[in-house]
Amino acid sequence: MSRLAGKRALIVGAAGQGNMGQTIARRFLAEGASVAVAGRRRDVLDAFVADAGGVAVECDFTDKSSIDAMVAQTVETLGGIDIAVNATGWGLLKPFLETSAEELDAMYALQLRGPFQFMQALIPVMRERGGGSIIQISSATATILFHDHDAYVATKAGTDHLVRSVANQFGEYGVRVNSISPGVTETPMTADATAVPGLMEAFVKGYPLGRYGTSEDIAAGCVWLASDECFMTGQNLQVNGGLTLRANPGKADIEASVAAAMARQG
Amino acid sequence: MAGRLDGKVAVILGASNPQSMGAATARRFVAEGAKVVLAARRKDAVAAIAEEVGAVAAACDITREDELAALAKLAVDTFGALDIAVNYAGLEVNGSVIDSSADDWRAACEVHLVGTALFIKQMALAMAQGGSIITASSLTALVQAPGLAAYAATKGGADVLMRVAANELGERGIRVNSIAPGFTQSAMTAGYFAVDAVKNAFLKEIPLGRFSTIEDIASAALWLASDEAFITGQVVDITAGQSLRRTPRADEFV
Repeated sequence: MSRLAGKRALIVGAAGQGNMGQTIARRFLAEGASVAVAGRRRDVLDAFVADAGGVAVECDFTDKSSIDAMVAQTVETLGGIDIAVNATGWGLLKPFLETSAEELDAMYALQLRGPFQFMQALIPVMRERGGGSIIQISSATATILFHDHDAYVATKAGTDHLVRSVANQFGEYGVRVNSISPGVTETPMTADATAVPGLMEAFVKGYPLGRYGTSEDIAAGCVWLASDECFMTGQNLQVNGGLTLRANPGKADIEASVAAAMARQG
Repeated sequence: MAGRLDGKVAVILGASNPQSMGAATARRFVAEGAKVVLAARRKDAVAAIAEEVGAVAAACDITREDELAALAKLAVDTFGALDIAVNYAGLEVNGSVIDSSADDWRAACEVHLVGTALFIKQMALAMAQGGSIITASSLTALVQAPGLAAYAATKGGADVLMRVAANELGERGIRVNSIAPGFTQSAMTAGYFAVDAVKNAFLKEIPLGRFSTIEDIASAALWLASDEAFITGQVVDITAGQSLRRTPRADEFV
């Protein structure tokens, strides 16, 4: 396995043990890439690097100066950036009518302003070296829907369109920009929800392939998008087993599934 | 080096020229360890290509269900299974809505809609342990231009068919996707590529600044074919970003 041999990759959103960013980083390392893992929590990044390899870079993705510093430090450490993945996210579940201005601002800062400023920092670096691949982790919920997820889905959908816009303008410099959309996935971000009996079962019938996805599925999609043999740009890739052909469960479906599971447990 | 398709058996239909997407995909699949049955309407056209790449040659007309069933059976009888099926069979039909005849429409439907439906059906029936089915969509199905009415419309219809099939066949472990190539340098487009005005009109609508190649399409097919692609019911856009812009009109080819 060496589909990314010689490539230098920056993965932000990798400061959670076993999260999607870390899973992508492990796969990229296995494919021969040099990897910088970034995020807010230094101790988690250091533990990852000690176990898997790569280098750790601290970053607060809601702060432009921190994003700029992360990109600059990665360039200095790895000698450049060929591949950049944004796997940060905040899976806020809050009814539309109850979502506060503070929550909206925080969501915007992380899920739209952050990706915008990340790409602003990356484009000059990639243009100078003659190209690169930028990968944004989006969500199936940016295309199909999910209740009480409004701030999340709106910013994810906005960033998908930003991906198209940046791809359109910087393709001539060899920079490809795409997003990849998981469906519901068992990750630290969804750990509270997945612990509820019956909850994840409610999602399965929305998947034509009969199971929901894993972080490993997304990492595999990222390898393809990152590799030079992928002649694709400005696209949103749905790596979720066909979920967008069907739907996520509604609130009542989930409540019924959880109630049934609770009843089974007695 | 372990191949990404080790142990897999693939059928590829639509490879009557060495410079076709079918031929390039066969070369790549064989290099990645797959056993390949390579088919085209005329066996004499595909035999030499199959020999060159190390595939078994077969004749198959995509509009004939019996021939599609026989093609799938040949793969199973020869190699013991069928895991991957790729359809590139296409019919170039030019003309505006006003200029296209009923025969033009029926011919395009016969190959792109009826043919694709029967291809998916017969390949799926032969896939005993799940698999991956890939059909060819088109840039013209994503960004329309005057002309190519029957071609674009039937390619677009085939993408809807692909999504229905994906929704239905998931429970058999079968993934169904399409690839939308951009303006690709291939045997089918050689006439267009011979005219600089056509090339230039297209090139300015391609964000990545170069035409897609048959090898680019083969790479996408390889990813969709491999077990690690947890994707179904999708149009995979290999237009180099041209779908973000537009297809040039014929009156710009001057």
